[in-house]
Amino acid sequence: MQVPLSEILTLSAVALLISTFGVVVRRSFAGWLSAYRYQSVVLAGSTAVIAYETGFWEIYAAAVLTLAVKAIIIPRLLVRVTESVKDEFKIEANPFVSIRLSLLVSALLVALSYGLLRETLISANLDVFAVTYLPVSLSLFFIGLFVMVSRRMALNQVVGLLIIENGLFLFTTALTQGVSLIIEVGILADILVGVMVSALLLVRMSQTFDSFDIASLENLKDD
Amino acid sequence: MALLSTFLADLSAGAVPSGWSTLVLTVLLTPALALALVTLTHRRRSAEIITVASVLLVVIQTLGLVAGVISEGQFSALSGFLYLDAFGALILIPIAGVGFVAALYSISYIGRQYERGVVDDRHIVRYYQGFNAFVLTMLLVPLANNMGLMWVAIEATTLVSVFMIMLYTNQGAMEAAWKYLIVATVGLSLALLGIVLFSYANTNASPSAAASGSGMDWTSMAADAKLLDPGIVKIAYVFVLVGLGTKAGLAPMHTWLPDAHGEAPTPVSALLSGVLLNCAIYGVLRFNIIASGTLGAALPSELLILLGLLSMGVAAASIYFQKDMKRMLAYSSVEHMGIVSLSVGFGGFIGLFAALLHIVNHAIAKPLMFFASGTVSQRYETKVMTEIKGVIKTMPVTGALLLVGGLAIAGMPPFNIFLSEFLVMTSGFGSGQFLAASLMILLLVVIFAGFLRHLVPMVFGSPKGPGSAVPSDAWPGEHGAGMLAILPMVILVALVVVLGFYIPQPLQTLIRDAVHVFGQGAPPQ
Repeated sequence: MQVPLSEILTLSAVALLISTFGVVVRRSFAGWLSAYRYQSVVLAGSTAVIAYETGFWEIYAAAVLTLAVKAIIIPRLLVRVTESVKDEFKIEANPFVSIRLSLLVSALLVALSYGLLRETLISANLDVFAVTYLPVSLSLFFIGLFVMVSRRMALNQVVGLLIIENGLFLFTTALTQGVSLIIEVGILADILVGVMVSALLLVRMSQTFDSFDIASLENLKDD
Repeated sequence: MALLSTFLADLSAGAVPSGWSTLVLTVLLTPALALALVTLTHRRRSAEIITVASVLLVVIQTLGLVAGVISEGQFSALSGFLYLDAFGALILIPIAGVGFVAALYSISYIGRQYERGVVDDRHIVRYYQGFNAFVLTMLLVPLANNMGLMWVAIEATTLVSVFMIMLYTNQGAMEAAWKYLIVATVGLSLALLGIVLFSYANTNASPSAAASGSGMDWTSMAADAKLLDPGIVKIAYVFVLVGLGTKAGLAPMHTWLPDAHGEAPTPVSALLSGVLLNCAIYGVLRFNIIASGTLGAALPSELLILLGLLSMGVAAASIYFQKDMKRMLAYSSVEHMGIVSLSVGFGGFIGLFAALLHIVNHAIAKPLMFFASGTVSQRYETKVMTEIKGVIKTMPVTGALLLVGGLAIAGMPPFNIFLSEFLVMTSGFGSGQFLAASLMILLLVVIFAGFLRHLVPMVFGSPKGPGSAVPSDAWPGEHGAGMLAILPMVILVALVVVLGFYIPQPLQTLIRDAVHVFGQGAPPQ
C-alpha cells in the first residue's frame, strides 16, 4: 500500500507535538527524558523522510547522527551523571505555573506558531516540508522557552534547552534542507558538551545548595 | 556541503595552499597543540610554560596575519571555509594580545590562589586546559567564513568559559556559571535561527550560492546583500542582534554578564571582558553589514543606537551605586560595548573608525583594570570597595596602575579611551544624531563620577581607617614573586598612554581597511 508523503509528514508533525506535550505534563526527570527520547526518534525519522525525498546523502547522515546523539547518547549521559543526585531534586512538585495551566499555555503557543506563519506559508513558495514542519519547529521553540521559565527544577531548564534545540534542528532541516554536514557535527558536538557541562554543574550544585530550585539562585545581585 | 569534497579534490590535485592560508591554519593549531600537551604532561609548571609559549606564538603569527591582510587585502583557507579580512584581523589582535598578558598574569594569580588553598594541582591543570581551549575557540570566531561555523565557535566559547568559572566551587561561582550557561545558550539559539534565515534568503536569491552550497558563507551573503528578500532579512537581523547581543552583553540582555565576569577567576574575567565580548559584537557587526546592504542603513543603525544607549544607561546607574569592585568593571564592559554599538549606529567613516578603535582600546584598558583589582582583592581578601582603602600606600606600584587604569577606563584625557570616545561623539554630532550624542555625553559624565567616587577612596584613603579591611601581611613583597603580576599591567598601561597620543600607522591602515569592509570608503586625505 502506498502511503502519500503528506500523510507521513502530518503524522510525524503530530508525533513531535505530542512528545513535546509529554515533557510539559510530566513531573519526573525520567518522564521528561523518555518524552525527549521519543521526540528525538521521531525527529530522526522526519529527517530521514526529507533525505529520502530530496536524495541528499548528507541529510541521511544528519538523521543517523540525530538518532545516535539525541535519542541514545544524551539521555544515557544525563541519567548516568545525575545518578548521585537525590530523587527529590528530580521531581517538579511545585512549578511556578501549574501543570494544567502549562498545558493550556502550550496549546496556545502551538496555535500562535501556526497563526504567525499562516500568511508566510500561503504567500511564499515553500516546499511541502517547510509548510508542514516550520510551524511545528516554532512551537517546539516556544514551548521549550516556556518550560524553561515556568519550572523550578534546574534539570527542567536543561530539558527545555534540548527541546528548543530540536526545534532549531527541525527548522533548519525543513527550510534549507540542512546546513552542511560539518556544521551539523559541530552543532551536535556543542550540544553534547553543553549537556555534559550542565550535568556536571548540576551535580556540584546538588552538593552545595540545599535544592535545585532555581529560586534559590538569587544571591548575586546589585545591592 | 561541497566543502569536504572540494578540499579533498584540492589535495589530490596537489594544490599547495598559499603561505597566508597555512598561517591561518597554524594559528589555530598552536593552541590546539598546547591543549594536547598540557593534558599529556599534566604538571603545573609545564602547563604554565606551554601556555605562555603557545600564546606568544599566537601573537607572532597574528602579527604575520595582520601584515598579510594589510598587503593582500584578504585571503581564505580550506577552500573558503576560513577567511580573514581587515575586520577579522582587527579582532584577532586583542585575542592574541590579551591572551598573552592574561597567560602571564595567570601564573602569579593562580599561583597565589594555590598558596591560599583556593585551588589544588588538579584545578591548575584544568585551568590551563581551559585557557588554551578558550583561546582556540575565540580565534576561530574571526577566522570563520561559514557563519554556521562562527556560531559553533561562539557557542563553544560559552561552554569553555562556563567550565572555567566552575573552577571555583563556591555558591556564587556556581550560580553565575548556571545563569551564564542558560541565558547565553538560549540567546545563541535565537542567533542560530537568524543565521539560518540569512542563509535561506541567500540560497533563494542567488542560484550560484545554492549550487555551490556556499549559502552560509559570509563572503557569499555580503556579495548578494542587495538581492536578499528584505522581509526575511529584517526578521533574521533582529534574531541575530538579540542573540549575539546577549553574548555581547548589550542591555537589556546583559543580565548574566555582571555575575559571570564578577565570579570568574580574574585572568578569565579579563579575557571575558576584553576579548570574548569583542568576538560577539564582531558577529553582530558582520550581520549588520549584510542587513545594511539589503535594508539600507537606517533600520539597523537605529536598533544599534537604541541598544547602545540602553546599555550605557543601565551601566551608568549600576556603576554609580556599585559595591563590588569586579561587578563595577563588568558593568563598565556593558557600557563600552554600548559605546561600540552606538558608534556603529552613528555610522559614517568616523563612526565606524571610532567603533573599531574603541574595541581595541577597551581590550587594553579593561584587562589592566581586572589585573589591578585582582591583585588588590587578593591582598585585601575582599572585593567590597568600601573596605579597600589606601592601595597607593600598601602597594605603590599596583596602586598607581589601578589609578591610571581607572582614569583611563572612565574616559579621562589623555588616555586612549578618551580618544575613541571623543571620535564617537564627533561622529554622533556629525551624523545629525544630536539627541543620542547628547545623551551619550550625559551618561559618560555620570559614569565618570561613579568611577571616581569609588576609585579615589580605594587608592588614596587611609588603610587604617574605620571600616577598612586589614591588608594581609603574608605578602611576598610587590616586586619579588609579584613581578609576573606587575609586568602584564606595565605592558598594558604603556599601551593605554601611548595610544592616547597617537595611533601607530599600521593600526591606522588596518582600521581604515576594516572600515572599508563595511562598505565605507575612506574620506579624501
